[in-house]
Amino acid sequence: MASTACFVIVSKNDIPIYEAEVGSAPKQKEDLAYQHQFILHAALDVVQDLAWTTNAMFLKSVDRFNDLVVSVYVTAGHTRFMLLHDSRSEDGIKSFFQEVHELYIKIFLNPLYLPGSRITSSHFDTKVRALARKYL
Amino acid sequence: MDPLRSYLGRLLLEEITPVVMVLTTPLAEAACRKSGLSVVDMLSPFSLFKKIDVPVRTASEVPYRLQMFKIRMVYASDVRKEDYEVADERIKPVISEANEKALPDLLSDPPQLEDVLGKPEAELCPLWIKKFNRELMRTLSFSEHETFDHPVACLLVVSSMDKEPVSKFVDLFNANQLPSLLNEGIMDPQILKHYLVLHDQQEGPQDIAVNVLAEMRSTLGLNDCKLLCINSSTEADASNADNSWLPYKALGFNNREETCFLSMDDLNEIKDFMQDFASNHIIPYMEQKIRVLNQQVATTRKGFRNQIKNLWWRKRDDVPEAPNGPMYTFTSIESQIRVLGDFAFMLRDYELALSNYRLLATDYKLDKAWKRFAGVQEMSGLCYFMLDQSRKDAEYCMENAFSTYLRTGSSGQRNATRCGLWWAEMLKTRGQYREASNVYFRVSNEEPSLHSAVLLEQAACCYLLSSPPMLRKYGFHLILAGNSYYISDQKQHAVRAYRNALFVYKQKPWSYINDHVHFNVGRWYGVLGILDVAIKHLLEVIACSHQSVTTQNMFLNDFFHYVQSMKKKFDVYELQLPVFNMSSLRIIYEDHRTYASDTDVNISESTWQELEEELIPSSSVVRTNWLDTQPKSSLRRYKDSCVCVAGEAVKLNIELKNPLQISVAVSGISLICQLSTTLDALSSDVSGLALDGGEDKVNTEPSISVFETGEDNFTVSKLDIVLDGGESKRVQLDVIPKVEGILKLVGIRWTLSESVVGYQYFKFDVQKQIKKGKRGPRRSLNNSLVVIKGLPKLTGSIDRMPTKAFTGDLQLLTLNLRNHSEYAVKGIKMKNSNPRFVIPGDSSDIGLEFPQCLKKPSKSENNSVSSKSTKGNFKGLLFAFPQDLEIQAGATLSWPIWFHAATPGNVSLYISLYYEMESSSDIKYRTLRMHYNLEILPSLDISFAISMSSSRLQEYIVRMDVMNKTPSESFALHQLSCVGGKWAVSALHSCNSIISVEAISANQAISCFFKIKDFEADSCKEAESGSYRSDMALCTGSSTDVFDIAQSPLADFHYQERCRQGTVAKGSCGLLDFVLISKAAGSSSKHTPDLQLLSHHTCHCSAPSQIPIWWLMEGPRTISHDFSKSSCEVNIQLIIHNSAAHKRPVRVVTFDVIPEKNQTVHPHDSTSAQGGWYDVSLENDIKTISSAKGTHQEKQSSKSVSPYVWCSLSSVLIELQPDSCARVPLKVCIFAPGTYNFSNYELQWKVHPSEEPHVEGNEKWSSASGQGHPFYVTVLQNV
Repeated sequence: MASTACFVIVSKNDIPIYEAEVGSAPKQKEDLAYQHQFILHAALDVVQDLAWTTNAMFLKSVDRFNDLVVSVYVTAGHTRFMLLHDSRSEDGIKSFFQEVHELYIKIFLNPLYLPGSRITSSHFDTKVRALARKYL
Repeated sequence: MDPLRSYLGRLLLEEITPVVMVLTTPLAEAACRKSGLSVVDMLSPFSLFKKIDVPVRTASEVPYRLQMFKIRMVYASDVRKEDYEVADERIKPVISEANEKALPDLLSDPPQLEDVLGKPEAELCPLWIKKFNRELMRTLSFSEHETFDHPVACLLVVSSMDKEPVSKFVDLFNANQLPSLLNEGIMDPQILKHYLVLHDQQEGPQDIAVNVLAEMRSTLGLNDCKLLCINSSTEADASNADNSWLPYKALGFNNREETCFLSMDDLNEIKDFMQDFASNHIIPYMEQKIRVLNQQVATTRKGFRNQIKNLWWRKRDDVPEAPNGPMYTFTSIESQIRVLGDFAFMLRDYELALSNYRLLATDYKLDKAWKRFAGVQEMSGLCYFMLDQSRKDAEYCMENAFSTYLRTGSSGQRNATRCGLWWAEMLKTRGQYREASNVYFRVSNEEPSLHSAVLLEQAACCYLLSSPPMLRKYGFHLILAGNSYYISDQKQHAVRAYRNALFVYKQKPWSYINDHVHFNVGRWYGVLGILDVAIKHLLEVIACSHQSVTTQNMFLNDFFHYVQSMKKKFDVYELQLPVFNMSSLRIIYEDHRTYASDTDVNISESTWQELEEELIPSSSVVRTNWLDTQPKSSLRRYKDSCVCVAGEAVKLNIELKNPLQISVAVSGISLICQLSTTLDALSSDVSGLALDGGEDKVNTEPSISVFETGEDNFTVSKLDIVLDGGESKRVQLDVIPKVEGILKLVGIRWTLSESVVGYQYFKFDVQKQIKKGKRGPRRSLNNSLVVIKGLPKLTGSIDRMPTKAFTGDLQLLTLNLRNHSEYAVKGIKMKNSNPRFVIPGDSSDIGLEFPQCLKKPSKSENNSVSSKSTKGNFKGLLFAFPQDLEIQAGATLSWPIWFHAATPGNVSLYISLYYEMESSSDIKYRTLRMHYNLEILPSLDISFAISMSSSRLQEYIVRMDVMNKTPSESFALHQLSCVGGKWAVSALHSCNSIISVEAISANQAISCFFKIKDFEADSCKEAESGSYRSDMALCTGSSTDVFDIAQSPLADFHYQERCRQGTVAKGSCGLLDFVLISKAAGSSSKHTPDLQLLSHHTCHCSAPSQIPIWWLMEGPRTISHDFSKSSCEVNIQLIIHNSAAHKRPVRVVTFDVIPEKNQTVHPHDSTSAQGGWYDVSLENDIKTISSAKGTHQEKQSSKSVSPYVWCSLSSVLIELQPDSCARVPLKVCIFAPGTYNFSNYELQWKVHPSEEPHVEGNEKWSSASGQGHPFYVTVLQNV
């Protein structure tokens, strides 16, 4: 499992609707949290270009900052799953994204969920963290 | 784009130029010093030739013309490699100088997106950054592995005042003083020398200099010697000098403090000298050198043979890799190729340069001289660029050079930076901004923080310039740059970088980013002493709920630190701490509706309106038509605006929440109000206010200090609270208007931690105003209230109103009404929503001792009157207090209220009191609304089952099941009463009392039996005897201690129960009601001191099937008969009673066959065994069966023939008058001794349609029947 990994779901309005630090590093220092946000936020610029050049949802790694890599998965509704990580296993990341996509669709199907609003479901959170442990 | 015109092209033309080494004598320097200049300073402005226009011929035969040319003048002492530390110190001022310029910008607003996108590139990348870039590159001058910094020529300057000038020239070019490059053999010491005699006109006549020149010419050569006269202007005519210098100022003159003695002629002379020096000496020398070197290279390296030889030679020479590669002296072919290449580059013969660089690259690669290889790659990259040929090759070369430099370790780091800067410029020229910013970013990693900050800022600019602009990357890199600036102690730059990035992060959602940016900007502004801006930014982050406690603490501490540094309280509009939940805003005001407590306001207006329908005069409810609307009621004047009363508090409920995990002290929370006393002026304003939205009102609103002036018109409450981390509290703020007028609630203000005053205006937007109509006036968020003259007001409460009670609990409470005003009120009426629970008492009930007053009074008193009167009075739930009752000013009225907990569950009680004013005013009446929530717990569960007694007429057996449902209480049953006096309760024959236990403890259930008898119908003497009474004491105490259920509260409550239960169980007539009164016997754990009385009302009890016909067999029970003589005949009588109100025909049918169970079964079953013919119609008709007891019957039931035979008659029809008895004699014949049950008969009667509710519309009488009751007769053999 990657020592650092930060997973964010960004709605199509560029608003983060779900954030999770899923790294195995003991306790992430607080100042890293904003650094991760900065990197992911900046990577949105690259995703914006890349997303329209390919049919694939999984864009692989789109951006890097020092030794941290940003991998992105874009859903059909242009919701972006962004993972900041330092591990190398692209296959694992791809499966992680695909499974999260399924979970996300389940959230989306909830008639009480307003698309584009924050995902607060604790069930979703535990599932995502479990997936992160499994694949990353 | 022409590469020569691009920024990089110009940069290269200016930077990669021939170097002229200058050697001077001290006297020559002194002569220049008079004008405040050094020799180099004086000459260098003239070393740039914009239009030199000289023909140049290098290796090829075709000459070309050189337009722009520049030479660099450098002192020999400066021709050496600088220490990095020294060089960096030189760069620092460039940055900090810009620092001061940036300061005024910081006070203005941060740039917005539109501003930034509209800016031209030059503004984004200001001049000082370019200067910085150049300075950074210059730190690498005179490196060993590159030759374009090596001096091309040497200028020796001697003053005419020097003794023996010629020997001075020789001394000057003494090897000891020459730079190490020449001494160490890296450079060819045989360079072009040029001799200059400097003559100071002020020191003496020109003749001396002319002589010296002649001497020089003879010894040193004719062409290489020159004379230059300076300081010819005698006095410092500053104005003239300034003008003449003007064109050269831009080129780098920067003294101008001292007087300048250079005249126009001097300047022209210098200019001519330099022109001559460049075009007649330097360029021809370089041309010649190129040709010579080219010849040399061609012979040794060009051609197939030389290449093979070279390879062979290099392979053999397989030396281990030295740290900087092998040493190359100026005589080595490699150095010569490099010189050739650089000279060609400087003379802009890029093709020649490129071919030589490429040749050299392979050599260095084989030699593993990596740094030199990188340098050559770098140059070839630049050649490609200048030739504007292959972009790919150019980029490849630059990248190769960059990475190779990086590979060589620390020594190549700065070279890598320079290479990167060139590369980035190259990419920028071609519009590849994204790639350029990548390069900048890579470069920034190799540099110390200060340099990397500038580089990162350039990277950010590139992101902005790329198309489409990558704003987020721009922001991110600016933040990184700002961070680096901060680390290297350049706070102004740090702030500038951060605030330029602010607009990227303007939207809130990325919370951590937002906090980081605002916090740092705020903090740094604070450090710079710009406190108000610092606080403005810190305000953005103090309400950060998502951060950890330590971070929140840090944010708050910094914030308060700067606030205290301001040394004054200051106001913040919409302070985020604490958060006021504006949707929870409720304005509570009392017009004609007043409330007993504030919680009562939350009940919806419709509930109250429904309750008060009959209470309030209808005139104000009914809308008059438009003709009458004019001045009918003065209240109309205020249209739909809300009305409140002077002297009474207008309350405002709002919820505030502390988003932090740290507790926060909030003090002085109060309302901001405005009270305008001029009614007419503002009556128009009220309507106007309703229309314009809150938004623009806030903008036009002046600062809050204005609102503090109205203190004498109203008073506002101030509230201090401490909110713990994450806590929300609901607060109530009051304002009491003192005079009539229009009160406007504008906003809230509060003080945070004694230092910051926050204020917030209420927003009443148009949308809500429209909605207002639907929601009713009370809920509207209209902030303007019309204040009217003071009115009397009653406050009221019910004393000791229980919140929890057991079902059946009966209590006497007091309603206290207090009049606070100076006027009396009258015409008091009351209505409550649930008369099952609360019934107002009588004035006579005041002062009565509670349980005793319910006791049955002695017989002499007539109690029926009072009960009747209250019942009539109370009809329709409306209770009017006596007409003459007035509550005087300041007086208190107590009124008894009966409370009865009727049903278990949660019950809301609404009570509304209406009263009228003595004084005439705008409002004629007011109402006081009270609301109580009660929780009624289940106590005793009582049910009754009634069945007819078979042994007696007009008597019922009743089973009463009582179950105690409480977990710990126990109850003593006290009394059981039948309501209405028609029924009498009595114990069964065998027992004295109905019930054997005294108290029913928790969870205990008991059943008991008793009988009831109809009083009136059966007017027996027993009734008077006293054993039959409608009330029955159940406890063992005296039977006189019985409560009178016909008296006021119990009867009233019973009436209510009856109404309520009647709707639930609608049954036929002849129903009876029971009242069970019990006393709390205390819980098992503790004894309740005050006596609790519970009354349970069970209404409309009835026997499961009510039969209008009673019958009873009468006759001897025991008979002795001698069966040897004859069969025995028994005479019995059947008494039939018709209790209904109709005449009724009844038929008595006897049959000798024991009725079998299958009799009622469908005929097919019974006849299936029989077979053959049978008459279906006969079987179906009950009458014929019984009358005939015919052939079928006898056959069928031959086995079960009864042992007795009815002998008198088989069927008789009698007509029964209403409520009368009839006797039918019967005779039975018995053949053997034994005990017989004479129940083998049936009664059939017609049922009146009105008695059968489920057969409606059917006018025909339907029939019903009843089996005979068992009647046992024992017949003995008479011996």
